[in-house]
Amino acid sequence: MCNAFGIVNFAGLNVKIKGLQDYRPAGAISFLGRYRLIDFPISNLSNSGVNHIQVHIKDKPRSLIEHLGTGRHYNINSKRGKLHILPAKSDVESEFYNHDIACYMYNMRAIEQVSYPYVILVPSHMIYRMDFADLLDRHIESGADITMVYQSVDNAKEAYTDCDVLNLNKQKGVLSIEKNRGNYKTRNISLETYVLSKELFMDLVKQAANTSSLYWFRDIVNDQCSELDIRAVSHRGFFACINDFKSYFEANMSLLDYDKAMDLFDDEWLIYTRTNDSCPTQYYPTSKVQNSFVSNGCTIEGTVENCVIGRGCTLKKGSVIKNCVISPGVTIGEDVHIENVVVDKNARVSRKKELIGEPGNPMYVKRDDLI
Amino acid sequence: MRQNNMLAMILAGGRGTRLEALTKKIAKPAVYYGGKYRIIDFPLSNCANSNINVVGVLTQYESVLLNSYSAAGSRWGLDARDSGVFVLPPREKDGAAFDVYRGTADAISQNIDFIDSHSPDYVLILSGDHIYKMDYSKMLSYHRQSNADATIAVLPVPMKEASRFGIMNTNEEGQIVEFEEKPEHPKSNLASMGIYIFDWKQLRKMLVADMDNPDSNHDFGKDIIPTMLNDGKRLFAYQFKGYWKDVGTIDSLWEANMDLLSKNNELDLNDASWKIYTEDVATVPQYIGKNADVDNSYINQGCIVDGKVKNSVLFTSVKVAKDACVEDAVLMPNVEIGEGATVHRVIIAQGVKVDPGAVVGDPNSEHIELVSKRVR
Repeated sequence: MCNAFGIVNFAGLNVKIKGLQDYRPAGAISFLGRYRLIDFPISNLSNSGVNHIQVHIKDKPRSLIEHLGTGRHYNINSKRGKLHILPAKSDVESEFYNHDIACYMYNMRAIEQVSYPYVILVPSHMIYRMDFADLLDRHIESGADITMVYQSVDNAKEAYTDCDVLNLNKQKGVLSIEKNRGNYKTRNISLETYVLSKELFMDLVKQAANTSSLYWFRDIVNDQCSELDIRAVSHRGFFACINDFKSYFEANMSLLDYDKAMDLFDDEWLIYTRTNDSCPTQYYPTSKVQNSFVSNGCTIEGTVENCVIGRGCTLKKGSVIKNCVISPGVTIGEDVHIENVVVDKNARVSRKKELIGEPGNPMYVKRDDLI
Repeated sequence: MRQNNMLAMILAGGRGTRLEALTKKIAKPAVYYGGKYRIIDFPLSNCANSNINVVGVLTQYESVLLNSYSAAGSRWGLDARDSGVFVLPPREKDGAAFDVYRGTADAISQNIDFIDSHSPDYVLILSGDHIYKMDYSKMLSYHRQSNADATIAVLPVPMKEASRFGIMNTNEEGQIVEFEEKPEHPKSNLASMGIYIFDWKQLRKMLVADMDNPDSNHDFGKDIIPTMLNDGKRLFAYQFKGYWKDVGTIDSLWEANMDLLSKNNELDLNDASWKIYTEDVATVPQYIGKNADVDNSYINQGCIVDGKVKNSVLFTSVKVAKDACVEDAVLMPNVEIGEGATVHRVIIAQGVKVDPGAVVGDPNSEHIELVSKRVR
């Protein structure tokens, strides 16, 4: 048991995942074949003993709502626990006003009624493993007003564009939050994870709404850096921020390094997802598979190398699939050669025999597309 | 969501002695099959897919795991209102001696009160240790159409094997005129599958009479069906087409797993319209490593394969290390094959470790070896 409730926030305007995000919110994007991005923050919360989890959602909610369902599969207590889906206001004038503060204001009653004194706020588009019960203990012990989480990276020039960066003093106090414009190699990327009391959270939300109609939660926290005691905790280990198409592809690919994958996945820290009741995967005599993650329900007759293959894919005879991320339900036809491609859900590639993207700049095949 | 007024009773009390160590601590219906399933998933999923709402599972031998496993009705979608999986081991009752289930019919007799409480028109009797996909609602339609007192599902078997089965001899309309248990000179090749539909009121009367009959074995095949035929009741044979297996031995369990490897196999577990449901485990997808060579195999989630795997079935979270060679094998959940080990023609029981370099099984063996202890 953890004396906090969780809020899973939707992605900010800095998250632009070409193609994939046109059909679904970032949290509902398929990851490593059998998961969706939101499985990671929710499993972290659930494994930390957080029993009450609010998921705030805005546009294109269909696939996310379907995936979350009752929340039973996240191992949340079915009576004392709750997975609460809170939709944002639907009649906003412009996407710019459709921020997390607006959603929290709109759902303030639901937040107010929660009986836990602390809140753990997490993003839906970042992948990392963290015990929030420990984080909450640290937060309470330190006496800080807000505890944030960051990861120190050394590739901030080419990645993490427009992500939040924490400027820290030597005692890990947060001096300010700024956007990563790619000016420095080494930066402290914010995991957009906040621990604070429910009371302060509600105060800040209201204050943000009164300060500016364009403020996100991170903006009001930034404003308060000199007033409040805001401290940062460093996260080590696997971390992926899925903020664009490239980072999506690379995060999938990086887990093909098995040691990295085992850094994220732990037998004692399960990542839950919605079961699809698919049967095991069938490898036929003509198949040749190497260095790949393959989900259940596939039938494989082709060659697969360095790929992530989603549930229920059909890879026919003579097909060659290299360095690809294949979403669930995809069919790759006979003798089709694809390389460096992200194929979205249920697409079928059969007539065109060659689709080759550049390494580092993968191609994208749309959902339900027929090629 | 009352769909049809038929209640199912699954007989799941048997040990399956010939499965050796596999059934030492669990009953046969709980034995693993097909990469991720347990055998009882098949009748339970069939019930769920046939719109049967209430399922009783009669357990007896080593029932702890089977009881908790079956009782989780939500796995099969049998958890709506007026729906459920009820686990029924023998119990002490007011006014009756506490006794084991003396036979298949006695298991039902001892639960007459349970069945009455749901007041069904029909009762479907199933075996918990057969592998097949079947729409029981079609069998019920047939039962109603033929105005039968009981309907028995039958499977055509090769004539030369017919003497191993309970054989139904029928007239042109499909009405059963004679039942012969393991006949020396079979007159037909229609084998009973141990699947019966009865009108509950009629069956109830017969069970009450059977309970007090000192000469009875309290068995459907040996007692109830012959009595019904003698009494001139209308018994009909419902012919089933498709894959059906009773896996009684290590060899036949292995064969049934191997059947899944052939393309367009009859069981077709990938059929989205008739899914077989099972326990949901939270593992990562299977990882096929840089040194792996996977050929003609059936592999479940959570496996890590970096060696050679050919003509094999790998259950959840099996590990096959580099340079290991696994051929014609069934590896149950959490089996670990060490580097350089070779494995041929075996079933390896859940959680067993094969140490690096070890040699298990023989590619030329006549029978399949069951490995249930660590191999050093």
